[in-house]
Amino acid sequence: MHSYIRPGQYVAIRLQSDQLRLIQIVPDTIVNLGRFGSFTANQIIGRPFYFTFEILDACDEAGHQLRVVSATELHAETLLAGEGDGEGDDVETGENGVPMRTNREIVDENSSQKLTLQEIEELKREAGGAGKDIVAKLLESHSAIDQKTAFSLAKYTLRKRKKYLKRFTVLPLDVGLLANYLIEERDAQRSMELRDEHIGLIGCWGNVHHSGNIEVGEGMKPHGRYAIVDETGGLVVAAMAERMGILYPHDADEEPTEEQDVPAHDVPAHDAAESQHTNAPPKPRRIRPQPMSATTNTITVIHPYSQPNLSLLKFFGYDTNNPDESHPLHTHLKSISWMQLADPNSDPLYANEPPIIPAEELAELKQSKRSAYYHKRNRWARVKAVVDEGRAGNFDGLIVSTLLEPASVLRTMVPLLAGSAPVVVYSPTVESLVELADMYSTARRTAFINKKRELELQSSEGEAVDLSSLHEEFVVDPTILLPPTLQTSRVRPWQVLPGRTHPLMTGRGGAEGYLFHGIRVLPTTQNIQAAGNVRKRRKVETTSTPISDRDVEMTS
Amino acid sequence: MTSPFLTRNTIADKDSLALLQLRRDQIVPTILRDHDDENQGYWEGKVTNTRFGSFPHSTLIGQPWGSQIVASKVDTGSRGRTQSAKRKAEELDAEATTTGAEEEKKKPSLRAPVSAESGFLHILAPTPEAWTISLPHRTQVVYTPDYSYILHRLRARPGSTVIEAGAGSGSFTHASARAVFNGYPGTEEATKRRRLGKVCSFEFHEQRAAKVQKELRDHGLDGIVEATHRDVYEDGFLLGDPKTGKSPKANAIFLDLPAPWLALKHLTRNPPPGQESALDPESPAYLCTFSPCLEQAERTIRTMRKLSWLNISMVEVAQRRLDVKRERIGLDTEGVRGATLFPKTVEEAVAKLRSDEQRAKLIRDNRLTKDQPDYQPIAKETPFYKEKTDVPIYAQGRLTHRSEPDLRTHTSYLVFAILPRAWSEEDEQKCRDQWPSAKVVRADNEPKTSKKQMKRQAAMERAKLREEQKQSAERPQPDSGDKAEEEEIKEEETKQESTEA
Repeated sequence: MHSYIRPGQYVAIRLQSDQLRLIQIVPDTIVNLGRFGSFTANQIIGRPFYFTFEILDACDEAGHQLRVVSATELHAETLLAGEGDGEGDDVETGENGVPMRTNREIVDENSSQKLTLQEIEELKREAGGAGKDIVAKLLESHSAIDQKTAFSLAKYTLRKRKKYLKRFTVLPLDVGLLANYLIEERDAQRSMELRDEHIGLIGCWGNVHHSGNIEVGEGMKPHGRYAIVDETGGLVVAAMAERMGILYPHDADEEPTEEQDVPAHDVPAHDAAESQHTNAPPKPRRIRPQPMSATTNTITVIHPYSQPNLSLLKFFGYDTNNPDESHPLHTHLKSISWMQLADPNSDPLYANEPPIIPAEELAELKQSKRSAYYHKRNRWARVKAVVDEGRAGNFDGLIVSTLLEPASVLRTMVPLLAGSAPVVVYSPTVESLVELADMYSTARRTAFINKKRELELQSSEGEAVDLSSLHEEFVVDPTILLPPTLQTSRVRPWQVLPGRTHPLMTGRGGAEGYLFHGIRVLPTTQNIQAAGNVRKRRKVETTSTPISDRDVEMTS
Repeated sequence: MTSPFLTRNTIADKDSLALLQLRRDQIVPTILRDHDDENQGYWEGKVTNTRFGSFPHSTLIGQPWGSQIVASKVDTGSRGRTQSAKRKAEELDAEATTTGAEEEKKKPSLRAPVSAESGFLHILAPTPEAWTISLPHRTQVVYTPDYSYILHRLRARPGSTVIEAGAGSGSFTHASARAVFNGYPGTEEATKRRRLGKVCSFEFHEQRAAKVQKELRDHGLDGIVEATHRDVYEDGFLLGDPKTGKSPKANAIFLDLPAPWLALKHLTRNPPPGQESALDPESPAYLCTFSPCLEQAERTIRTMRKLSWLNISMVEVAQRRLDVKRERIGLDTEGVRGATLFPKTVEEAVAKLRSDEQRAKLIRDNRLTKDQPDYQPIAKETPFYKEKTDVPIYAQGRLTHRSEPDLRTHTSYLVFAILPRAWSEEDEQKCRDQWPSAKVVRADNEPKTSKKQMKRQAAMERAKLREEQKQSAERPQPDSGDKAEEEEIKEEETKQESTEA
């Protein structure tokens, strides 16, 4: 939980202008907010999140320069004085219910503000009160201020405050906030314009959750293994890791060290050899967790290049180039390239096992050579374990947000899912997902089943059926994913002020964002066996196929 | 007890909840039993009847999740007329005198089901989403697009504690239980101080509260969700006794109540003396209220402002599903289901008119020669535009999408707010002592070097060293290259440690 601001942590700072800045809070340094001033990081470390601070003009004797703005003050400013407790209708009306002040007299020109630009600049340099003085002066020298209606005065004051007040709010940097930051402040397309509402939906339809604390018993498989294809720079991985409780490093502090069987990886041998030959005093050696060694509650990222791009994870304390071994992602995040998954023997890391050197021989090697040997052996064992595990499949869910053709991803990945495991594909635009949904259309499924049955009837008893022509015609097997569903969602923000409630006037355009989801199913072979009698087969077709028709029917 | 929602076997076990999917929005929930627990009187034991056939549970138990199951021939008609009454009477008699052994004897008499080939379904492992589709409605349901967004905004994560009032039909209850789950209570050793996620659910309708409690027990969620029958407007959110009870220490609150503002007074940092605050003192509290009407939302926000809630925002979620369909238009679509018989292009329209004219002319000319002895009727020919293509039907036409026919255009207004953690003068003073504000060191502008970079640097240094050694080969060397290398590695390690520290 984000209970207080930790030193070294990334936080988000919301400025008065509603701009967001992501800043790493390093102790004993100065944080500069540009025209909104600067402050020393120590003054916010250890403090709670969501506090709004005002930068004062002068420090107190201890050098403290920040004042916490209370909620009452903040609300009073939003509602603006004179409205009491905000009860009731606020339009000032005369005797006949006619608004007393209207904009009838207001001249539409920029001459009302009597302060010149130069004077304002001067004020900015000299005025104190964290910008409040400037706002007051501006209001004072506005010639038509008394003509303004309450609403327009409020709007004017608010606008000026946003421009000049030296205030900021510290927010915990979590996935939702990062997603908003990427959309508003950065190149939204690089995070595939992924919004909060879709992050929530992906996690729910993908049934992504923490796998719990029970042992993997008889008849169970390791639970909580999710396969993710993520080309948003790590945003989707971060969102799923957040749901699985493995994103925040300090969460792990509270967690007991999970008893994962760290796969052998020559580690015990390594230790034994070390203690034998270095003659070092037997100090308690911290067993370093092997990367990617967890067996439950894991994320497997499948990536097109040799390394996955998960650079956004750095905001959560996990730098993929320089991983922190105590971070939960160090053991729970695994990565495989598509080549390792499809054809592992083309990958030298996987295929070329470093030769085992017998212990006596090893003992005579120099230490650097020996550690290089262990490094290579461990790396090979790790790659092999992760790749073999990935190829064995049985994943509990598949989450895809990719630049690749979605059908090609699903063709490879859906067969690797356990029965009843969900599949979710996110795309910023609808076209690729419409095509994908069509790959699983009822007409296509019926054609697939019929063709498969034909091929099976052609082949002789006991011989394996050659289905290659079937897979050529059909990119994906339409019988193993049901029901293909396409969905979109968007939230609409409102302004709620007494007597002034309405949806926000402007919003962000761009990609709408769409989700495709379905569930991995295991089709029965029974229908096909029952196809011996021709007349009966027809009956099967007319009775059972239409049901499957309706099951996924795309029309109304 | 574990829950099939959270951790499950690879196969559908008896006595566990299974969701039987008939089609996209038709899912039937059932608890799998190897005996006739509802006394239905079928020969096959417990049977679930659907519009796509009957499914004896013996055909479902032990199947891998996600399997397609074929319906069975079940005699549904005769049991009411003939044996059921008899059987029931027998059983009533038996119940009075029954012993366990007799019960055992009855079991093997169950008939093996015969597959019917009349239909099928898929047996799905329970998820909150599928449950939301299938659950018995008691009140308005919070659907997936809403609850997924709410839980995301409420930061309901593994280990959190969520308060929910009213429980209603239980869809949000199930989704939030999944969100906060990070272990079953009682299975962990007491020494470990990890906080386990929990949902505290309150429902003021007694009958509904009882139903929710039963459901949670059946679903194995009773260790994670604590459902209480309570009027929260009056009695607040403390567990057990409303006045002296234990605080749930909530991080997130979801209020699906007609008048959320009446409940807000029980969610403050400073409760009346003698009571605990229902909120977690060490984390911010995230709140969401769910009200269909604008007036409710406005009133709630007014109260929130008075009670110092921050970051108040209101949104509504608009979601829709899309139907994907191939639309086929053309003159070659005669007899194709769902296609429109209409020219595809101007060219096709022209071609059709032209060929119709030509044919009409042919017929006219032909008619003139009707009386002649060598009269021959015109041969039938398919016009070129009706010729069949090689493209299979499933890939013909244009791919289109449109919104589903029935939209949920408004569910409710969602009001979100945040209450920062409690913060006292002492806390502030402690912080000031620990982090003196005056202390400022010049920022370390040097970018941090990664492991890779350091290794590369070290390699370059080694190479340089070797060069130097070659050049000064005559001079005696105090250190061998390897040792120097070792030292470098050590140096690297210490550097590494220092950056990590």
